[in-house]
Amino acid sequence: METIVAVKDLTQKIGRKTVLDGLTLEVRAGECLGIFGMKGSGKTALLHILAGIDRFTSGKVEVAGIDIRRTEKFKIYLGLVTQERSLFQDLNAAENLDFIAALKNAGRDNIDRLIERLELGEVLNQPVGHMEAGPYQRLALACALLNNPRLLIADELIGAIDLYSRRIILRELETFLAGGGTCIWALSNAEFMRHVHRVGWLEKGKITFYPPAEALTRWNARLQSPAGQGGDGDA
Amino acid sequence: MLRQCLAIMRREVFYLWRDRGLRHILLFGSLLGLMLFYAVYSAQVLKDIPTAVFDLDNSAASRELVDKIGKAEYLKLVASTASYDDLRELIKQGKAVVGVVIPENYGRNLALGRQARVLAVIDGSNMIYATNASAALLTVTRTLSAQAGVSALVARGVQLQQAKDAYQAIDISEEAWFNPALNYAYFLVLALALNIWQQCCTLAACLNVIGERGMKSWLQIRACGISKFRFFASKSIAQIFIFMAVVLPLYILGFGALKLPLNCSWAALLLFTLAFAIAVHSIGTLASSFARNAVDAARFGMIIALPSFVLSGYTWPLEAMPVYLQKVAWILPQTWFFQGINYFAFKNAGWNLMAHYILAMLAIAAVCYGAAAVFIARS
Repeated sequence: METIVAVKDLTQKIGRKTVLDGLTLEVRAGECLGIFGMKGSGKTALLHILAGIDRFTSGKVEVAGIDIRRTEKFKIYLGLVTQERSLFQDLNAAENLDFIAALKNAGRDNIDRLIERLELGEVLNQPVGHMEAGPYQRLALACALLNNPRLLIADELIGAIDLYSRRIILRELETFLAGGGTCIWALSNAEFMRHVHRVGWLEKGKITFYPPAEALTRWNARLQSPAGQGGDGDA
Repeated sequence: MLRQCLAIMRREVFYLWRDRGLRHILLFGSLLGLMLFYAVYSAQVLKDIPTAVFDLDNSAASRELVDKIGKAEYLKLVASTASYDDLRELIKQGKAVVGVVIPENYGRNLALGRQARVLAVIDGSNMIYATNASAALLTVTRTLSAQAGVSALVARGVQLQQAKDAYQAIDISEEAWFNPALNYAYFLVLALALNIWQQCCTLAACLNVIGERGMKSWLQIRACGISKFRFFASKSIAQIFIFMAVVLPLYILGFGALKLPLNCSWAALLLFTLAFAIAVHSIGTLASSFARNAVDAARFGMIIALPSFVLSGYTWPLEAMPVYLQKVAWILPQTWFFQGINYFAFKNAGWNLMAHYILAMLAIAAVCYGAAAVFIARS
């Protein structure tokens, strides 16, 4: 299987704090890697580096074989769902799809397909700022998939949203992976570990990989131990 | 690429249009300013300047002087006081701007052909009033002085015509070109309205970069891989287009409805204004590129936009400013614009001069955009 993401000795320092400390990881095509960690563990920092949003202190990162420090061309293979509401608040749902499709140089035919698949027909005229969490997250995923990305980077893809939206999003994620897409999903809710192929547990700037079942067992054990601590309220 | 650029431009127009506050300021701010300033300067020239007289002589000659002051075109006799203190009180209270004190023996001195002194007091606290009052008073006193001189020569046996000729040896005829009536409205109204426009434009441009980077949607833009240059260039084109769209009704109202003088062609005026819009936008973009947040950017905008009109030399000649300040003033595009608008709208000073002004503004724009590009690339 082709390696889509290759990270070697990645270090990110913000001020005096070392957020990521010499991370090395590989993600192959068709794989869904869950990045699990507590609040402040560096999940978002890692995802923003992989998406080419933030610079990093040292190390090497390749996406689809492209060194992301040399060029931004890898972004044509990328779809991003952010933890924060990052769609354009001044536009409605349909305008967001149109605008982001234009920014990504994506074909307009994808828009109709994604509206249908993510069942966005009824919210197209809603201003993004007033959308409920579930439809908003479906829209955010649709926007991320507009350019048929090879790599989907999703930060808290499913948070506190309605079950209907959750089901649609998980269904779309399965379809995406089945089609050869790769996903890196930052999650703070251990419940979603069963939807990923591998869990990268991020703690104190270091990452350790587990199969989902083992990661879940370790998490439950930690919760039950006297020194156990929750992450982000969910984890 | 074109589709990307057009989408960014369209979104920028929508963004500005949907921000009701910004839309109203851009659309109506300068138009309201134009109407307001036109109403303020509707008198066009200052007439009926309130004048008080303290006549210590009370002779026929002094009464004639008082009568002439009362009939002067721009002066209005409002009081005749009984003491110098009363006159001072009237001026202090703003009931008179000009005070004329006619001393004792004024009539006798005139009759004897001696020099007669008259004290003219002007309230200097309001410069506009004082300058006009001084000019109006000078017109009266010059005529009277000439008449007295002619009378004195006649009393010494000179023929009347010879005496008149002696006082008219140099016939100076005054002509005010380009604004014959020295109309304040022509001079100030459009410039003041354009000042509001340029301030609004500067403030809007100050949000060009930081306004985008400060929003969460910046993450989407960064993740899309579109180059910052293409993104901000497209945004900037849309903003400059909006600036021009906003100034157009201002010009139509000013030159069309209010009949302010426009002696150059519309095309030349719009080209000149476009160069200024680009330059002002570049300054705002530069401020926006290194500002830490939108509030910071707005502060930079205010610091640039507010004093720039005063520095432009429109209301006080550049040549009268200290040399170092003149050098600073010429760095600002506002100076080139407000100096130039006078040259071209009033005087149609010609393409050569206009090209010089346009090139200067575009050079400022090139420097500011270049510096902004460096800041944006490093951020």
